[in-house]
Amino acid sequence: CALPICKMDAMFRKSLADLVRGLRANKKNEEQYINKCIQQIKDELKLQNKKAKMVAIQKLTYLHMLGYDISWASFNMIEVMSQPSFTAKRIGYLAASQTFTDETDVLMLATNLFKKDIGSSSPYESGLAINCMANVCNTDLARDLAPDLVALLSSSREYVRKKAVLVLYKVFLKFPQALRPAFPRLKEKLEDPDQSVVCAATNVICELARKNPKNYLSLAPILFKILTTSTNNWMLIKLVKLFGSLTPLEPRLAKKLVEPLSNIMNSTSAMSLLYECILTCTVGLTAHGSIIRLCISKLRLIIEDPDQNLKYLGLLALNKLMAIAPKAVQEHKDTVLNCLDDEDITIRFRALDLVIGMVNKR
Amino acid sequence: FFWVEMIKSVLIINNHGKVRLSSFYEHYTAQEQQQLIREVYQQLTKRSDYACNFLETTGGKWGKDTKLVYRHYATLYFIFCVDESESELGILDLIQVFVEALDKCFGDVCELDLIFKMDLAHYVLDEIVMGGMVLETNLTDIVEAVQSQNNLQNQEDPLSGIKNAIEKVQR
Repeated sequence: CALPICKMDAMFRKSLADLVRGLRANKKNEEQYINKCIQQIKDELKLQNKKAKMVAIQKLTYLHMLGYDISWASFNMIEVMSQPSFTAKRIGYLAASQTFTDETDVLMLATNLFKKDIGSSSPYESGLAINCMANVCNTDLARDLAPDLVALLSSSREYVRKKAVLVLYKVFLKFPQALRPAFPRLKEKLEDPDQSVVCAATNVICELARKNPKNYLSLAPILFKILTTSTNNWMLIKLVKLFGSLTPLEPRLAKKLVEPLSNIMNSTSAMSLLYECILTCTVGLTAHGSIIRLCISKLRLIIEDPDQNLKYLGLLALNKLMAIAPKAVQEHKDTVLNCLDDEDITIRFRALDLVIGMVNKR
Repeated sequence: FFWVEMIKSVLIINNHGKVRLSSFYEHYTAQEQQQLIREVYQQLTKRSDYACNFLETTGGKWGKDTKLVYRHYATLYFIFCVDESESELGILDLIQVFVEALDKCFGDVCELDLIFKMDLAHYVLDEIVMGGMVLETNLTDIVEAVQSQNNLQNQEDPLSGIKNAIEKVQR
């Protein structure tokens, strides 16, 4: 045979599809087959061949999904992430995202790689690195890369801005000192021309506010403006949740929200958004009788809907209303008692919770 | 500060309990992951198709105040395990977006597509959920991002097997 050895090897090397086919053909001795494959993969990782390493890591990621530990290959994953090809990076970063923890020691070697890829002129290459950071970020990476990520908030590509905004939440979690200097830039993103970027910024601030609501009260005016102008349901849901964190601290804000929230509740066709408004009212607008009455009437529609999902959410919301409007909850006593017999354990659980609450109120 | 995930995990499990895609946004060992997958399957397989799409897992290994939001399509369960910061109905809609995105990226997706191209399914998910947070909900933008990246791969290696045309892998 005239082919050199390495080309012959390449012909016989298993691709991911070959591995999967092999698994399907070896159902009776799957573990044996997999162990054989892992041995082959270990040999492939010793080769100097970039493509072989890339495919090896691809196969390992699949085996990881089946429950096999592949952390021994972390260094090889970084090798593949470091290859210039987009294909290799896609594979390497996926493997790392799936398996690295903040204790993975090879992560120390990856700072410059992340820095380079984050700053890539290709938005998708940058996106791969940012996505991986969102999954594996540790304190050191957060501290070292925060400036690079904040710089991306000014990228001309909304795709990059969106991802950079969202990953900052992880950076702040791991390295809280990054928050203060980055905050003005994050705040600017609430007025970004692209809706997805604004949504990401709202998401991050929503999560930050859950922990420290009073630090974000100053954003109320701009958040209010988005609330009254946005038509994006996802954004509105996050905003309404965010106001749920803020209103208990500031009664004047609660008063201002009565009108826009009532408008949303009366006009939206999205149950998800209506429901979120009701929840926020039960948390922060309890002093405002008119909107609470509106919540109760909307809740009646939700609970009486034949859709099981709405029944479940209705019961959840009733539970929250119990403290504020116990009589209104009592009116639904019969519906709740019926739910105790529902086939669905999720519904029964919620109904039981409510019944206990109703009995205790007496 | 502590790691609090909004979306803790995304799973695709078939009717027989075999996992077709698993993403964990919180840190669990490989063993814990398999255990969680088994438990999720056992809980879901007991539920009728008329039951609601939510299952509370409070008290389980996921941590407190977590729920499974899921949809059952033919042979597959699509499951998002979420905490209280997520809108249940919103996530239910997002599962629909995920499935539609898979459909557009694979061309009429079926279970066999997911089996052979698990990594492509991950790439689709990565444009929707990043680090346990919702990144993008617009189907067009999601699909465009995936296909642009597929094109980059294709340019590097036309024989790579990543194609945007409707082409099924040889079974």
